[in-house]
Amino acid sequence: MNEYIITSTNINQLAGELLNEGYNVVAEAEDGTAFIAVAAGSNVILNPFGKPTNLSPKQYIFPKTETLFYYKKSQTDVEIIDPTGLGHKTVIFGTKPCDSAANKILAKVFNWDYKDEFFNKRVENTVVIGLKCGYRDAQCFCTSVGLSPESGEGSDVFLTPLENGDYLAQTITEKGAKFVEEHKKMFDAISADKNKPVPMPEAPAKKFDAAKVKVWLDSNFENEFWDGLGDLCLGCAQCAYVCPTCHCFDIVDENFDYTSGRRVKNWDCCQFTMFTKHASGHNPRSVQSDRFRQRVNHKFKYYPDRFDMILCTGCGRCSRGCGVGMDISEIVQAIDNLK
Amino acid sequence: MAQLVETAKELLKSGKVSYIIGYTAHGDNGTKPFIARTEADAEKLVFNHHCVNNLSVYINKADIPENGNIGIIAKGCDIRTITMLVQENQIKREHIYIIGVNCNGQVKDIGMNWEKENVAQKCALCEVRTPALYDVLVGDLEDFEKPEPTTMQLIQQIEAMTPKERWAYWQEQFDKCIKCYACRQACPLCYCDQCIVDKNEPQWIETSPTSRGNLSWNIIRALHQSGRCVGCGECSRVCPMGIPIGILNVKMNMISMRDFGFKPGMNINESTLVGSYNFTEKENFIR
Repeated sequence: MNEYIITSTNINQLAGELLNEGYNVVAEAEDGTAFIAVAAGSNVILNPFGKPTNLSPKQYIFPKTETLFYYKKSQTDVEIIDPTGLGHKTVIFGTKPCDSAANKILAKVFNWDYKDEFFNKRVENTVVIGLKCGYRDAQCFCTSVGLSPESGEGSDVFLTPLENGDYLAQTITEKGAKFVEEHKKMFDAISADKNKPVPMPEAPAKKFDAAKVKVWLDSNFENEFWDGLGDLCLGCAQCAYVCPTCHCFDIVDENFDYTSGRRVKNWDCCQFTMFTKHASGHNPRSVQSDRFRQRVNHKFKYYPDRFDMILCTGCGRCSRGCGVGMDISEIVQAIDNLK
Repeated sequence: MAQLVETAKELLKSGKVSYIIGYTAHGDNGTKPFIARTEADAEKLVFNHHCVNNLSVYINKADIPENGNIGIIAKGCDIRTITMLVQENQIKREHIYIIGVNCNGQVKDIGMNWEKENVAQKCALCEVRTPALYDVLVGDLEDFEKPEPTTMQLIQQIEAMTPKERWAYWQEQFDKCIKCYACRQACPLCYCDQCIVDKNEPQWIETSPTSRGNLSWNIIRALHQSGRCVGCGECSRVCPMGIPIGILNVKMNMISMRDFGFKPGMNINESTLVGSYNFTEKENFIR
């Protein structure tokens, strides 16, 4: 790991240079709703003490909608045309540790039996410039899922805000080191009188013991705890779509006309009634509580079973954004408190 | 709020209702929807400036017990949706026991402090602080500082745009949409068993959150609400992408008021706008 200093001015300069080099440059939007493309000449927003954006930056690795291929039918043949622009070189600035950590978790499922080239290409071509996090609220629980607001896990380059307004830049991966090497003139060497890091608030207190929760989940698929849990859930997909780790998708064909169209992969969500509805009309998850049980189990049991990782980074977005105050950390905490 | 809790306990005890949909305290500074089934549950009911949710959304989602009625704690604006649900034959009036509350303003979103700049937009022009319909009324009216009507200002700004600019404005807004359908799920008047976007034989609307698919969804949602939406603002509030979708409905209600003198959910004995016709109605579109 190498350490450098990068000034705010140089971060903006770097963004400009990257745009000239043909990169997509992505950072927080001014209104805090999402990560968006940085336009030429505008500044990169780094927000170490601000609330996480409503939508996680997941969409740059796993877009909300993605064309798998285009098709053209003739009387005797079908022509398949690959989409263009896949895996365009991208740099994401300012992802908090709870976002940066998500890509490694997602990589497990996207490389399980089938290697998803769309996902892998995007990851391969994306440089994550992570940022130390100084934001705390009642919904934060990164420490309960084994992460930390000061962790560089998942970042290629990790930034720590310094008291003079500059940032300490640490290279975490080889990709990060190579990226810094290629843009060396934007990074200054660390000097002896290097500035102090801005003090960070204490990490969020641990809300639950995920290992203990998993033991309970292992043998309590049927339990009165689940009854009525989803009574007040409205069954929208806010929680899944803002989540950095939720990864369900739906594949549909969209016809442009009688002879051509595209096959497309769109985000989908286990909280929708339609998600598990069979063609016969039967729905194995017939009530919202069944669907909410799935959400908890997928994150805290099935994924750990399959990949030895919790499918949650504790960013708290799902709870912060829930219109009816459903809070997954409270629910998992309640499970932890059951015995 | 002792009066509310006592009323709720009495209703549950007497068996007049099988449960009550209300609010309970949640977090440092907020409430969340809550179902009180017992007198002990009723102790946890609250009503204050943080009771943002329009709970009437749960009426259609709940299974109405055959031998019991639903109790609901509702603000004047929420009761307008209950009125609509009765008028549109989605519920029977006698199955709903309305605990109306005199409302002294609400914050924009859950957990916000009660300050002038955080007061919900719908409170700026509210005419139903004392509900138009209820079975029992609790609470007292108190004055509060009304917020700047920024929603109306935004509507005026958009009205002043050229059609091209307006198109560009909404394209930019709808492009943000991720099709989580929080707007649909939070809306008490979006009650179709199967929403048109979920119909796939034939597929009327693209499911993809692309510019075209998003435009189709958002415009259809807005049009299905014209002359019906009561302006509770839940759609805009729950939108994670901050799209001001609710103002489309506000604008359409301005038109239904202008052309038909109709305001949804104000009078339970009146016919609905889309469900009725009379000869004095303007037909400006046929010329």
